[in-house]
Amino acid sequence: MIKVIRKPVSDPGMDETAKNLSPEKIEKVIKWVLEKEADARLKTFVETCIHCGLCSEACHYYLSYKRDPSYAPVGKIRQTIWDIFKRKGRVDGETVKMYARIAYAECNICRRCSMYCPFGIDMAYMLNLVRRICCLLGVVPQYLQDQANSHMYTYTQSWLAQDDWVDTVQFIEDELRMEIKNARIPLDKVGAEVMYSPHSLEAKFKTNLLANIAQILNVAGVDWTMPSFDGWDSTNQAMHVGDNETMGMVERMHFEAAMKLKVKKIVTSE
Amino acid sequence: MYEFLTSLELYNFVKGPMVWVAFIMFIGGSIYRIVSLLYRAKKAKVIYPYMSLKYTLRSLLHWIIPFASTNMRKRPWITVITFLFHICLIVTPVFLLGHNMLWRESWNIKWWTLPERVADAMTLIVIFSALFFLLRRLISPEVRFVTFPSDYVLLIIAVAPFITGFLVFHQLFFDYDIMVTLHILFGEITLIAIPFTRLSHMLFFWLTRAYTGSDFGAVRHSRDY
Repeated sequence: MIKVIRKPVSDPGMDETAKNLSPEKIEKVIKWVLEKEADARLKTFVETCIHCGLCSEACHYYLSYKRDPSYAPVGKIRQTIWDIFKRKGRVDGETVKMYARIAYAECNICRRCSMYCPFGIDMAYMLNLVRRICCLLGVVPQYLQDQANSHMYTYTQSWLAQDDWVDTVQFIEDELRMEIKNARIPLDKVGAEVMYSPHSLEAKFKTNLLANIAQILNVAGVDWTMPSFDGWDSTNQAMHVGDNETMGMVERMHFEAAMKLKVKKIVTSE
Repeated sequence: MYEFLTSLELYNFVKGPMVWVAFIMFIGGSIYRIVSLLYRAKKAKVIYPYMSLKYTLRSLLHWIIPFASTNMRKRPWITVITFLFHICLIVTPVFLLGHNMLWRESWNIKWWTLPERVADAMTLIVIFSALFFLLRRLISPEVRFVTFPSDYVLLIIAVAPFITGFLVFHQLFFDYDIMVTLHILFGEITLIAIPFTRLSHMLFFWLTRAYTGSDFGAVRHSRDY
């Protein structure tokens, strides 16, 4: 059997929580996710896969790690989902940490492997279930969990609350008037054509990006607006964590902001 | 062992009741697997609402025509061998002269028959493609990493009827009596195994492709081939 070799990486979000997990809790969570939350797809995909390895070429991790088979999509499924089925969910904290490493740090859920699989097996769906298990057990990379926490607390990714947001927009507008006479960043304009919803970091670290977009939209004469209230952030880090509840809340806020402003289109950055 | 394998009782058993058992389990099992999957899929919120016939057909067409998808063009050898393997695997037993004679004798059903030489060549294609798959499992690291004993068993189940059938037809190496019994027995094992092992990709290929084709086409507006 080919050995899986990884450099040990320490991450407080994963190391500390994995230590405190009891086998009973892990088994309960795994059973909940794989039996209650997962649907008919999971079993069908697992029982249809003929282990041919034709998905490998699709994965950029596999290609950039010199074709190491443990980075191939089916190799990652083997180390996570098949492993869970084989052990019937009875695994220890260290193993959950390994699942978390694979699901968060070795797969982008880009679904290119489904494009290469002759059966169209959705491997990203299965790795998303692994993320869900790790999320419910609290074994999540700290940086990612921090961003999800920020979504829960400030409704944005980067701990930027609503008052900071309005402040930021106002100073960007001030600066923009040095470039364009009487430039406007119209907030809360009901019935506008476009709602621009920026990446949260555009309002925190890279305000020049937001200024650039505002400049373009001003010069282009687009009928646009942004909400002054929560729901302006287009990002959703909770989705990447596997925190489906927060993910749903964030998405709903985003779309409700567009509904309140009665816009025709949402334009997002990235 | 020799007496047992050549005994008339065993021959009569695999030729009579066992055939019924095999076909009932194959057809009944297949229907059960598909119906139970369609029923379980109802509970998921994201499968049926997004199904689209147009993108299902687009996806299926791109994956049953050779070289119609990116991955097939990237690996021409595997594409050629895989297509030949699957076509011969299904066509040969259905249109083989010997099998058709059995249908005619018992139920007076007639259909097209392959010339014997062609059928012989197709059997050899199946056997050599299987050998290729076996070597690929042993040599290629990304396949070896996901290979379990069950994968070898499945390959043997799929090919054993063809190996024994070839030996029966040419009456090579072993007694005809033993080989014909084994051939029938392996054929029945293969039929029974299709719905209940990962050979069920024969049944589920269409359904997983339908799901992924619809998801990629109707929801994401992208290609899955």
